[in-house]
Amino acid sequence: MKRDARVKGDETNLSQFSAALARNRAAQGEMTPLPAREVSALRAVPPDADLVARFTQAARAAGCHVHCSGESECVAAITALLQAAGARRALVEPQPGTALPPERAAALIDALTTAGVAACQSYDDETLFAADASVTGVRLAVAETGTLVCVSGPASARAASLVPPLHVAIVSGSQIVPDLFDAFEHLGQAGSGTAAASCISFITGPSKTADIEGVLITGVHGPGQVHIVIVPN
Amino acid sequence: MSRHSLRARLARAVADDRVLQAVHLATWRKVEARAASFAQLPHAEELRRRAAQIRRHTLENLPRYLEQFAARVQAAGGQVHVACGAAAACRIICDLAVRRGLKLAVKSKSMTTEEVHLNAALEAAGLRVVETDLGEFIVQIDHDRPSHIITPIIHKDRRQVGTALARALGCRYTEDPAELTRLVRQHLRDVFRRCDLGITGANFGIAETGTLCLVTNEGNGRMTVTRPRVHVALLGIEKIIPRLIDLPVFLKLLARSSTGQPMGSYTTLVTGPRRPGEHDGPDELHVVLLDNGRSRILSGPAPEVLHCVRCGACLNACPVYRNIGGHAYESVYPGPIGSVLSPLLYGPQYEELPRLSSLCGACASACPVQIDLPALLVRLRARSRERQPLGKRLLLSGWAWLMRHPRLYALSQKLLRELLPDDGAGWARQVVGPLANWTSQRDLPRPAPGSFRELWKQELSDET
Repeated sequence: MKRDARVKGDETNLSQFSAALARNRAAQGEMTPLPAREVSALRAVPPDADLVARFTQAARAAGCHVHCSGESECVAAITALLQAAGARRALVEPQPGTALPPERAAALIDALTTAGVAACQSYDDETLFAADASVTGVRLAVAETGTLVCVSGPASARAASLVPPLHVAIVSGSQIVPDLFDAFEHLGQAGSGTAAASCISFITGPSKTADIEGVLITGVHGPGQVHIVIVPN
Repeated sequence: MSRHSLRARLARAVADDRVLQAVHLATWRKVEARAASFAQLPHAEELRRRAAQIRRHTLENLPRYLEQFAARVQAAGGQVHVACGAAAACRIICDLAVRRGLKLAVKSKSMTTEEVHLNAALEAAGLRVVETDLGEFIVQIDHDRPSHIITPIIHKDRRQVGTALARALGCRYTEDPAELTRLVRQHLRDVFRRCDLGITGANFGIAETGTLCLVTNEGNGRMTVTRPRVHVALLGIEKIIPRLIDLPVFLKLLARSSTGQPMGSYTTLVTGPRRPGEHDGPDELHVVLLDNGRSRILSGPAPEVLHCVRCGACLNACPVYRNIGGHAYESVYPGPIGSVLSPLLYGPQYEELPRLSSLCGACASACPVQIDLPALLVRLRARSRERQPLGKRLLLSGWAWLMRHPRLYALSQKLLRELLPDDGAGWARQVVGPLANWTSQRDLPRPAPGSFRELWKQELSDET
């Protein structure tokens, strides 16, 4: 899209604006350099830490439920936890390259159907707002803060980890990076992250507020419950 | 500035026990949560230094970074507008809403939209505007004003929230915070299903990638960039940071400073509108860059105020804010940062605010980007020195003169010890003369029986 070159009424053209800004700032003293890109000295979690343990601890502190599961048991584990939560309609979002690839999603849909939980894969409003749970993979997870990173794309809707009141995320051990800095280094690489996706969500615990007398309440607009199932790899 | 003088507003503020109790409780809780959270953050001081350095560098090179940011937003399919002032920002946004026939706007909490009074403008243009942050929603339905930049209803208790909600939504009265939250969720779900315009601010804009970063806890920010078909983000020109890798420096500090959380629940990075093949997200993204006095602030006496990340830590830390609440400032931006920002943004009607400080420095210690707020407050005070009452000016010049004359100063201290009334418990109450006003609100501790100089002299003579 071309920048609007006209100056009409109050809408100023950016180059004129920044030229004026530069003129006003002409007389400056010493300039401050931008710090180097290198951030490893500022890491909170070293790369050789026990990442699954650190992630689990941080995610629990943020209010998530964390479960560890074997490759073969994870479908049964997710089915069981959705049943236990009383979920009746679950949105399942297969995404290649995550711990919920199409094959595992298909197995999960079978298991859910058998257990009497309706599994759906549509994003129309009726389905989305009626679902009481969603199951998704993630792009990355951050051990430092217990954060899940979901990246939008053709196989991943913004709403999936947001609208249903219970979110189950499957994370593989190899997706956990030590520090927030590592996550951003990863997302900054060409072909991934902001260059490739319109929306990246860093999710740390359930939706929460403490607006009323400082009392912590979960589930304001996003999910009130976040379950994380960690599979080995 | 207003219907009431600062003195009247302060008198009213300190008389409202209910509000002050709520503010006291909430701010102390946050001060403690912040301290605990920072104690667990490795390299915290280095991160603060780095954040301040990034801000300083960006502001020194702002034209270049603004150009880069705008070019990247456009490359990602977004549109960029520049608004020189509040009125221009409102007109740009109303104009594009009206031209597209948009009817229902949802708003994620944004100080910048409050600064330009966008809601009133959109309503005048025929749109319905709904605040979706729980606190801001309560403020909106109760026709109130926010009193804290992070916790807008810090001054309200659960009964007031319950009453406001019962009246506005026609639901039955409850004062259970969980139930109140559920009622708001239910109401706003329906709004989110039908809305066609989403309005947000942005915590950061990343020049390198043209990305907007939004941090929320409730998820309303995510809803606002997911549901409507048009997304408009209004951000001050100082919100730009150069690179994606600079963002985690700020993210590690922001939520810890605000609420003590290591990360806010949701940090959302938006780069352009929905891409082909994506299921949701807006068809159009508009970024409105707002100056509204910021370029003037850059070349003024306190440019560092533009480093601010709006975390609210200085409000919580400030003994003045904690004892008067946010409304007495009568500005969108209260507390120490507001006392600096308001007179710079809005002009001389706020020139008294920098004097609402004992310069104790708690704000500077709490600031994640190391803004030396006491120094800025002093610089702004100097600007309005000539407009201070003559008596005060004489008194202060006299004191300054006295302090440059050690012998006379020592003598004056002795005199003061003799002259100040003693209530027998170490306090001087109901002082007459120039200090009368001061002691009408607070007790003055009596000077120690011996001055430091006298003790020092004594100590030296004992040793020899």
